[in-house]
Formats: sequence, C-alpha cells, structure tokens
Amino acid sequence: MLFRVDAKPGRALAWTLSWFLFIAGISGYFWTSHTRHLENPEDKVVPNLAQMAQGWTDAVLKPAEDDEVQADAATQSVMLKIRNSMLWKDTVASAKRFLIAMLLLIPAVLLGLHMGMFPVIGEFFLRFILFFDKIIALSVLPILFIAFGIDELSKIMLIVIGVTPTIILDTFNLSKSVPQEQIVKGFTLGAKDFTIAYRIVLKQIMPRVLNSVRLNLKAVMLFLFAGEMIASQDGLAFRIALLRRHMGMNTIIPYVLWVALLLFLVDFTMRVANKKLHPWFREA
Amino acid sequence: MAELIRLESLRVVYSQKVVLDGLDLTVAPGEFVTVCGQTGCGKSTMLRLILGSEQPAAGKVLIDGVQLPRPDRNRGYVPQKYSLFPDKTVLENITFGPETEEFGLLGRLTPKFFKRREEFRAEARRLLQQMGLQQADAEKYPDQLSGGMQQRVAIAQALIMRPKILLMDEAFSALDPGTRSEMQKLVRNLWRETGTTVLFVTHNIAEAIYLGTRVVVLGKESPETPARVTLDLAVPEDCRTETGYPRREDLERMMKQVEDAALGGKLELEMAEFAG
Repeated sequence: MLFRVDAKPGRALAWTLSWFLFIAGISGYFWTSHTRHLENPEDKVVPNLAQMAQGWTDAVLKPAEDDEVQADAATQSVMLKIRNSMLWKDTVASAKRFLIAMLLLIPAVLLGLHMGMFPVIGEFFLRFILFFDKIIALSVLPILFIAFGIDELSKIMLIVIGVTPTIILDTFNLSKSVPQEQIVKGFTLGAKDFTIAYRIVLKQIMPRVLNSVRLNLKAVMLFLFAGEMIASQDGLAFRIALLRRHMGMNTIIPYVLWVALLLFLVDFTMRVANKKLHPWFREA
Repeated sequence: MAELIRLESLRVVYSQKVVLDGLDLTVAPGEFVTVCGQTGCGKSTMLRLILGSEQPAAGKVLIDGVQLPRPDRNRGYVPQKYSLFPDKTVLENITFGPETEEFGLLGRLTPKFFKRREEFRAEARRLLQQMGLQQADAEKYPDQLSGGMQQRVAIAQALIMRPKILLMDEAFSALDPGTRSEMQKLVRNLWRETGTTVLFVTHNIAEAIYLGTRVVVLGKESPETPARVTLDLAVPEDCRTETGYPRREDLERMMKQVEDAALGGKLELEMAEFAG
C-alpha cells in the first residue's frame, strides 16, 4: 500500500519522512562524538556541542588576529566585538568578492542578450564563447596566478572564467527562444532594435535569467572558495583551510553551516525578489 | 483604382522547395481580403511577405508603391499565438505602440513622457471598451485572460497605431466556436467603423466568406507544385442578409466555388457549419 506511485502519505507521515534524515544525521553525529569523548575527553575530530559553542563564540566575539588584541577587550560592546571578530572579517572579505563576481554577471547577461538579438554580434562571439565554456576554470588557476598575481584580481577572474560563459550562453539561448511573433509585433508597433532587445526580449526573459543565476550561485561559491583556499589572507574558505591545519573542527563545522545559511539566504532573497518583480511570470 | 498593396510575380523558396511562384495580387484601400487555402499552400507565407517579416526570393512587394525592408508601424499584426507581451498588463500592451513610437528608451525618462502616457492610457481605455472588455481587465496580465479576450486586446494593440493595413494570421483559429463568431462580428464592425484595409488568413471557408469583401483562394495541383491564386471572389455587400452572411443559395454557391478552387479541399480545409 505504502510503496505505490499514487500513494498519498498523511501529514504526520510526510513530516516524519522529510525530517528523518536530519534527525538521524544529527543523532548519529552526537552519538559518535559522545563515544569518542568517553575515550578521550579532549577529542577534536568530532567536537561535541560545548566545544562547538566555544568555537562559535570565539569566532564571533574574539578579534580576528591575535596580535591585534586590544587592552580594553573586556570593556568593548558586543557589537564592536562582533565587528572585530574573525567571522565578521571573513564574511565581509568573502562577500566583497562574491558581490564583485555577481556584478560582473550583469555585463555577461547583456552580452548574451545582444548575441541573441543581433546576429552579427552572435556570430562574432558564439563560437569563441562555446570554446571558452569548455575550459575547466580550475585548470587555468595557475595561469591566473602567474598572469594576475595572487591577490584579488586572480580570484575574481577565476569566478568570471568559471561562471560567465554559462550565463552568457544561457541568456543567449533564452533570448533566442522568444517567439518571432513578439519581435515582429514590436516592429509593427513602431519599436526600434534596442527597444525590442530591452523592452520586449530582456524584460520577458529576465525572470528566467535570474533563475539561471540562482542555479549558478553554487558555482560562483565553488570558484570563490577554491581561490580563497589556495591563495588568500582572509575569507571564509581561507579560515576553513587554515583551521584544518589545527584540526579546528569545532570552528570548521559552524563555518560550513554559516556558509550554507548565507547561500540559502541569498538564494531565498533572489527567489522572493524574482516573484515580486515579475508577478506575471509562471514557471513553465 | 488606387492600390495599397501590390504583389508582383512573387517567388518563395524554402530549402529548395518552391512554395509560391509567380504570385500577383493587388489590394485597394478599404478592402477586407480573406485568404483561404489548404494547409501548407503558402497563405501565411503570403501574409508574412506583405508584413515584411519575410522577403521573397524574386518579385516585389509594394506597399503604397514602395518596397519596405522590414515590418513597420503601418502594418498591424495579429497572429494566432504570442500576440501579446506576457510581461505587460493589458493597458501596457495597448499603450506600448504609441509610447515607443514617440519616445525612445531614454525619452521614457523625460517629464513629457509621463504627461503623454496619461493620454495614451485614456485612449487605450476607450479602445478596451470598444472591444467589449471591462475596465477591471486593464490591469490584468495576458495569461489571466481567456483566448478570446487576449485576441481582443491584440486587435486593440494593433488598432491604436491606426495602421494602413491590419494583417491577421489565423487570428481566431484557436478559439472555441462561440467566441469565434463573436470575434468575427467584432472585426467586421471595426472594419466598417474604421475603414482599415484588412488581410485575414484563415482555413475556415465560412469565416472567409462572412468576413471578406473579397475571398482569395490559394491552391496547388499537387504537394510538389507551387501554389497560385486559384480563385479571386468578390463578396458583394448587397447579397448579405441581416445575419451578415450572403443569402443561402449565394452562400452555398460561394462555398462550393472556394472548395473547388482549393483543389485539395478534401485535404484539410475546414468546412465549418454556419448559423443559417
């Protein structure tokens, strides 16, 4: 009865099923942690709740660099402590790179749109970008370090090389998929080429473009983290890589969850914004 | 006789297959021409040539004596599908034409634009009413409307430009019979009121005769040969009864003529039932 394609699980059952793996995972973790701590109370590999709480408060409230410890640390307000903390500084550093990468997606979208609308531009770029798209971005990382040095530029370039071809090609295909009738209609209503490109085509594909960007958020983060782990002095991934050397699992795990939460929030905000900005859009 | 559209020995080739060859046709201002024929006879191709969205391999399309390279504001277009911009409300769809014609992308930022937009909106609302739509529909998006309503808006969107020619490509073919006959009445009334030249492509014979002052039939002897005009039938206004259709005996004769002219009438021509 239960394993049928037309089964209709009740509310309680559906709820239990969907949360089961979370509960099993969390319990499994703490059970392992508990047994390991019985053997060695100082175990760092599978930290227990108390250790993680300690790691988290250290990350949130302690200053980022040991040599910058200020004498009046005890009298600082909580907000100031957070502003000076490791987690804050890492988040800001990563967020900056993330935002620059996202801003660079805007020209990518516009290029894809123009390639789709103007055949001459399309012919000029398409083959090259198709080729470019096949390059594994991480494989050119050494070249980027040599060419751009190991500072911000090479990390941003890694994201650009990794993600923009996908966005360009996606926008190109989306703008091609707008029915010809719409474009002809635009002409008969006195529209010029750019009005058609921006007010008819771009406006119509915008929600799909945003969805495509949402799908590529993980790729953006992946390249950002790869760059930060290999060559950086700050950033969330830099910290995770650094703490690995000290077996700082009690900080790594909260960091991983923090990154997941941030990414979820960005995606969620974009989804809500997409819906609010394009009330006419129906997911096909 | 003044002529608005002149087609001169048009030839159209699709991947080495000749679809139309040696097609000639002239249309005078104010005519309501319906184009009828079996599926694949090139009637939509002919419409697209007049529209300018397609260019002939040989021959000329002259609108008011000039060849035009692409569609423009003088030729209104109502296709069967995708006739409205899905991202714009009904009102925005109708005002799109006048707005873009007067203001470019940057012109939309000037104060004058906002003043003019109010005037366009007022006219759009008036047109909506003429099309039989409620004022409440003005703020809806196209996919919140039924197929018939959407086509009403599409006609309003085209008519606000006051085009010289209104081109309709199977505009009512996706509608259910009841809505369809309402739309036919609407278009006929609009044509009478505005005097716009209309070219209407359909595969429904009864619709062609009901709407047109002139029925042009395209047909071909076999699937391989190009299509040609096999019948050019005038439907005089004075033979119509108050239903709008010609008298029964005239109608039957005309339908027979059209059917014969389409040659492959048995293929896929809709012999629609009609009221009467």
